[in-house]
Amino acid sequence: MGGAVTTRSTSQGVLGRDERRQPLVARRWHLRDTPVAWLFLLPVLILFGIAVVFPLFDTIRLSFYDIKGLAPPKYVGLGNYTRLFSDPAFLHTLGTTLTFTIGVTVIAVSVGWVVAMLCAFAPRQTLPFRVMIFSAFGISEAVTGYMWITMLRPGADGLVNALIRSLGFPDFAQPWLGDPNTAIWALIVAAGWAATGLPLMLCFAAVQAIPKSVLEAAYMDGAKPVSIMLHIMAPLSLPGVRVAVFITLLNALRAFDIIYVLTGGGPVRSTETVGYFMYRESMTQFKLGYGAAATVILLVAVLIVSIPAVIQRTAGAR
Amino acid sequence: MTGRAPRWIIVLVGVIAFVWIVPIIGVVVTSFRPPSEVVLGWWRLDNLTFTLSAWTRIWDAYPLADAFWTTLQLATLATLATMILTPAAAYAFHFLKFRGRRLLLILIINAFVLPQQVVIIPLFQLWRELGLIDSFLAVLIPYVGLSFAWSIFLVKNFLEDFPKELIEASRIDGCTPISTFRHVVLPNILAPIFALGILQFLWTWNALLLPLLYLRSDVPLPVLFARIAGTYDLNWDLRSVAAIITTIVPLLVFLVFQRQFAAGAQSRTGAKE
Repeated sequence: MGGAVTTRSTSQGVLGRDERRQPLVARRWHLRDTPVAWLFLLPVLILFGIAVVFPLFDTIRLSFYDIKGLAPPKYVGLGNYTRLFSDPAFLHTLGTTLTFTIGVTVIAVSVGWVVAMLCAFAPRQTLPFRVMIFSAFGISEAVTGYMWITMLRPGADGLVNALIRSLGFPDFAQPWLGDPNTAIWALIVAAGWAATGLPLMLCFAAVQAIPKSVLEAAYMDGAKPVSIMLHIMAPLSLPGVRVAVFITLLNALRAFDIIYVLTGGGPVRSTETVGYFMYRESMTQFKLGYGAAATVILLVAVLIVSIPAVIQRTAGAR
Repeated sequence: MTGRAPRWIIVLVGVIAFVWIVPIIGVVVTSFRPPSEVVLGWWRLDNLTFTLSAWTRIWDAYPLADAFWTTLQLATLATLATMILTPAAAYAFHFLKFRGRRLLLILIINAFVLPQQVVIIPLFQLWRELGLIDSFLAVLIPYVGLSFAWSIFLVKNFLEDFPKELIEASRIDGCTPISTFRHVVLPNILAPIFALGILQFLWTWNALLLPLLYLRSDVPLPVLFARIAGTYDLNWDLRSVAAIITTIVPLLVFLVFQRQFAAGAQSRTGAKE
């Protein structure tokens, strides 16, 4: 969990820099590289082609067709897209996606960041606590969904409502997952709970990478922990936090499993994100072309969020 | 700064951590108590009986053992395939020269942003045409194909720090590219290969969407559990046992190897299959 975790992806390779000044032996060797390279890459390229390249282009192609069940596809141009943007269910989905993605990211990154900074004061003593919070990330999302179904049960055996009642607000206790107005927030809490571990670890690595001398100096000057966090750790860990924000945004945008198990998109489609909507339309309603068009919208959203990361990886690819 | 940390910080982090795992504790406690005791909440201690009843009845209630075996096979096969194919590809990208190298590399390492939703419709149609629905290949191919987006990035990043002198020396000693890979590179990159194996194992074990769509008769644990979790039965004890069985292997693997996980998850950005 050292600082190398965050810096590695940005470090420029030493090996690629002086490729042009290679000795004659090496260059002759390279002439014979090509067949070997393709031999090494062949299985990867075939599998990558089937699992990534083909579906990517085929999804875009299918989004221009009207496909219902096994009937022959009919070309409809941008028809699916105009229908999407006049479909109230889809428009609602866009809002839900935005709320869900931002809500999960705010919970996961803010809790993860604050805990990471607190942990940096006593890295060894707090290691078990970090692992405890991170452990939610290793749990199957299907199980995470179930855990929160049990936490949010409306009866006496639901811990959340029991706590609210025992604190003296019996009127606030309610079937969180049964009400369209609260189900989305319940979903955000559950997904945020599961997502917090990763930002915690990334932010912790970023805080750990701050030179010890800076922190020692602040200590010598008598700075209190809270002001060290606010004025030194927070600003100096920002690069790591940015990575954490991006990763959490990306994962929330692509979410499916937890929605499927916890709410199934309901009640009355109130918790459907675009990623869930495409599944529902294509795999339960068998409107494959319509679902593909929704997937393309999701893809566009994902690409917009990912532009900085893609630029960085492309520049670093040598 | 160790040793000078104010006590309240450690206490505060500890409290947050314990609050964090309350949902996990709830499921574990429910699985060991008779249902009659927990109708008012698993945290009630007025009468406390420890029972393994649910743990013995579970095997007849749900086909968990079959699903466990299916999951183990799928996760193991997908993990081995990724572990075997990735190092050679990363080596080719890093040390060999060939036309289109950089373009291919850029394509593959940027594919990590793609949502799994992109694959489901085209592959659903393709598998239906090929009669592969309900075959392990229907999920193994996307599991492994999608993994290259992050696994090659992970190994290639590790190779950035690989001492170039070793490669040069092996060239001068007359090694071919293949023997350089086998005898010089491979023995020195076992750490990242192991790390990506752990990541791939966890994510394929926990995968829900693809097996939900492409497998019918032999389904892995998350798919079976998703069916169990959403029912209106009142058998919370049985369902809690099923939850634990579904996630115990990835959770243990995760707890043991969480260091590698934290490092590797960045290249994969924590995406789940």
